[in-house]
Amino acid sequence: MDYDVMVVGAGIAGMEAAVSLGDMGYRVLLVEKEPSIGGKMILLSKVFPTLDCASCISTPKMAQAASHANIDLRVFSEVREVRRDGAGGFRVRVARKPAFVDFAKCTGCQDCEKACTVTVPDEYNENLVSRRVAHIAFPQAVPKKAVLDRAGTSPCTFACPAGIKANGYISLIRQGEFERAFQLVLDDAPLVGTLGRACYAPCQRECTREEIGEAPHIRHLKRFVADWYYERHPEPEYGAPEKRLDKRVAIVGSGPAGLSAAYFLARRGYPVTVFEADPEPGGMLRSSLPDYRLPKEVVDRDIRNVTALGVEIRVNAPVDSLAGLREQGFAAVLAAIGTPKPKKLLVPGEELEGVVSGIEFLAEVLCGQKLDLAGKRVAVIGGGNVAIDAARTALRLGAAEVVLQYRRSRAEMPASPEELAAAEAEGVELSLLSNPVAFEGEAGRLRRVRSVRMKPAEAGADGRRRTVPVAGSEAAEAFDLAVVAIGLSAEAAALRRDLPLARDGSIQADPCTLQADRPWLFAAGDAVTGPAMIVQAMGLGKRAAFHMDRWLRGEALDGAEFEPRLPVVDKDEVLARQTEYPARSVTKGERLPQERIKDFDEVELPFSADEAVASAANCLNCGICSECRECQRVCPADAIDFDQRERIDEYAVSSVVVATGFRLFPAELMETFGYGKYPNVITAMQMDRLVAPTRPYNYVLRPGDGKAPANIAYVFCTGSRDRTKNNPICSRVCCMYSLKQAQLLLGALPVADVTIYHIDIRAFGKGYDEFFEQTKAMGVRFVKGKVARISEAGNGNLKVRYEDIDAGGAVQEAEHDLVVLSVGIVAHDECRGLFADAELQLDETLFVAQPGKQVDPARTSIPGVFSAGTATGPLDIPDSILSAGAAAAQAAAYIERMKRKP
Amino acid sequence: MSEFKPRILVFSTDNVSDPGIDLAGRNKMHYPASVFVVSLPCSSGVKPRWIVRAIDRGFDGVFIAADGSDCSLVPDCTRRTAATVAAAQALLKERSLEPARVKMAAVCSVCAESFQKHMAAFSEALRKLGPSQRGPAGSVAGRG
Repeated sequence: MDYDVMVVGAGIAGMEAAVSLGDMGYRVLLVEKEPSIGGKMILLSKVFPTLDCASCISTPKMAQAASHANIDLRVFSEVREVRRDGAGGFRVRVARKPAFVDFAKCTGCQDCEKACTVTVPDEYNENLVSRRVAHIAFPQAVPKKAVLDRAGTSPCTFACPAGIKANGYISLIRQGEFERAFQLVLDDAPLVGTLGRACYAPCQRECTREEIGEAPHIRHLKRFVADWYYERHPEPEYGAPEKRLDKRVAIVGSGPAGLSAAYFLARRGYPVTVFEADPEPGGMLRSSLPDYRLPKEVVDRDIRNVTALGVEIRVNAPVDSLAGLREQGFAAVLAAIGTPKPKKLLVPGEELEGVVSGIEFLAEVLCGQKLDLAGKRVAVIGGGNVAIDAARTALRLGAAEVVLQYRRSRAEMPASPEELAAAEAEGVELSLLSNPVAFEGEAGRLRRVRSVRMKPAEAGADGRRRTVPVAGSEAAEAFDLAVVAIGLSAEAAALRRDLPLARDGSIQADPCTLQADRPWLFAAGDAVTGPAMIVQAMGLGKRAAFHMDRWLRGEALDGAEFEPRLPVVDKDEVLARQTEYPARSVTKGERLPQERIKDFDEVELPFSADEAVASAANCLNCGICSECRECQRVCPADAIDFDQRERIDEYAVSSVVVATGFRLFPAELMETFGYGKYPNVITAMQMDRLVAPTRPYNYVLRPGDGKAPANIAYVFCTGSRDRTKNNPICSRVCCMYSLKQAQLLLGALPVADVTIYHIDIRAFGKGYDEFFEQTKAMGVRFVKGKVARISEAGNGNLKVRYEDIDAGGAVQEAEHDLVVLSVGIVAHDECRGLFADAELQLDETLFVAQPGKQVDPARTSIPGVFSAGTATGPLDIPDSILSAGAAAAQAAAYIERMKRKP
Repeated sequence: MSEFKPRILVFSTDNVSDPGIDLAGRNKMHYPASVFVVSLPCSSGVKPRWIVRAIDRGFDGVFIAADGSDCSLVPDCTRRTAATVAAAQALLKERSLEPARVKMAAVCSVCAESFQKHMAAFSEALRKLGPSQRGPAGSVAGRG
């Protein structure tokens, strides 16, 4: 046996049972699902009827349980399964939930808490105040270890092919930490400015906030931090890494994939040489993205993020043999050669002067060739982003009319909807369901484009709906220039002798490791995927770098998890979490269409710092943790571990003590009391926090407006002794804790009036009735009568409607400025599903049943499983501790009997 | 010459007095900035020579925020800690320093207010005693 007993739950009863058994010499496994032991008692103000400080008397017990030589404590852990071993004992499975903090390293210094950029309601203060996502449960927590709340990966971050933590940098921007936001993006992608302008932002489409009100402008925020940083740092702040490895790496192509791979390999210390066929690095960023979307100074500055690491970029250096590079002494080679070859329509007349491909047209303009299209009619054929770029560029060159011709419908256009909208706003005309069949010219020059109307047909093999020509619909229209932008393909023909190519000319590489058929050869970017987004190419460059590094270090490529991420968060869960939405509308500025088509200056206007912060503030932090990684940056013990995952441990134990405690009745179920609707209707547990020594405001204030309450009402039996709420039983503690609070309130707020609305007062324990009499003598008003309804008067005050029994049952109404609901206790039925092969019987109110309550109180329906504390029903603290003692004694007897069994 | 602000070293315990002292900070309760807190598992582990060394190195007083009867590690924590304090006081006397420079009191996990009062009173008492180092001014500046 690993342990003599497992105690489930480390509230006051579980701790007491564990310490008793430990003191008897038994080996105890104490499992607690929260990050700290102490249960509900540690969060209380005082205990009745002695008014001892709850926290002062529980901390020693907590310390004792945590430091006991015979107790192994597992906090932030859940029992997943208990199975009988056939010999009287049990096999248990215990899950350690990921805290994303290495408890062995965490010193409890709380630096992470100070650095954390996301706040959430503080459940340990009954949501009266907020806490950080990286947090230590409460000041008296044992063990004092930090925990990060992570619901999963935020949809925006999950959508990013380059693994950029969108939620993280938004969170940093919200805090005004612009430099940190830039650095966080830079950690995942070197071309921050480029992405901030020209990324098609798959993150934005996934944003949960898009569904309710205004989402942060994610890409534009990235542009803001890039601009902010580059303005202050014209050159990167870093140089080549000190560690220089001896294996050299060659990268062919300096587009986004090649640059990204170069950046990550150089950061690991590899000497990297990039070969670029063109006179300047950047690939498509430089040769086909128009200046009005991406100014080339931004590309230059972005590339310096790569070259600052010591990466050498050789321009005008076409490579015709990859194996040749290997012979030159490069240990590994990455082919990131993109898709520079335009696809052809294959219709008559395509060779005419005046018919050009989209990327040739864009490259000519970007190389500075002066094209004057004044008064000309331009047809752009295609529905992708290159087509849109070409059309908008043609307008800026003075074209009188630009028609974008696409053979399918608008909905099927692969272009980004934002780009399409911008093009239409600038005056680009659409000709949908139309396809050229011939270019007609005179004297070798284009004059007309002959087109045919198309109609939708059934889906093709790729699932996209095909279109077919409409018979007899051909017509010719006069055009001076036709730009064909119907797709791109790889031009790897020169490399054919080095590596096998797919039929479409793309390079074949393992989709996961990006290794090609030669172990030293890897491939990334559009050359592998076909034309894709910049951010996708950068992600692949990073992926290739990760696996190249492993290969170069002689490690296996299989089974290496590249950028492990938590599953994406469910949007409905995020929406259910929200109670209100700060709606700050921030419009992304743009130059007016009629102005912007006059030149190639940027269309989008930058955010001001205030606008950036306001836009970022619309983020809902879907993942709860934004992954801004500030905690990781500041942790002096290097204890933060984002890759931590749940771990299941199995143990053999002789017996089990269930001390899983209770739940408070959810007060919002009393619809007529307005809890959750009226801010000044609170629960008694909230009031206990307000009067506790560790109280949130350090004063008793009502939450609605921060006023010190002068006239407080208690509504007894909220959710207990109430058949309509399926909780007919008396919760035993509500009368007494409310009397306790009334006394404490009279001490804290000497001029306040306290009124208690009750059915009757149950003060049955030792010294309890005296406590009741004392409370009466102190001036608390007792009204015998059931409250029926609470409604809001003006000023946040509340009208309490009740049946005044002592006045003959008349219905009365009274006004109070704070109403406290004395909520009842209900069962936690989580322990029910734990037992795999035996039924833990529950009573009719779902508490653990006690088949021998009179003579054998801790016995449950399963031999060897005992119950302690409020798992069996409502108990006050002294009774909980007594029941824990009984459970410990009965468990000990069981363990002894097992030991003696032959 | 600036006003004398007694430098106080506090030994506190991880689970009991530390949260109490922490709470004073969280609740923004003022106590002198010249109070330095070092935490350890149990107050009975403090050695008399540590206290003397602290005074030698420029602290004007040492305060032990003891667990008292709340100690979960040793049942006679209070007696042991008291013996430590007595031994340290004897050592100080040998060096012609006032035994009142060492003080102990139980501080519980939420005793923020009591800690604040202890610090105010101890600081005032030490101010009356004057600096522990009577040598040339500034000789221990910046230590501790």
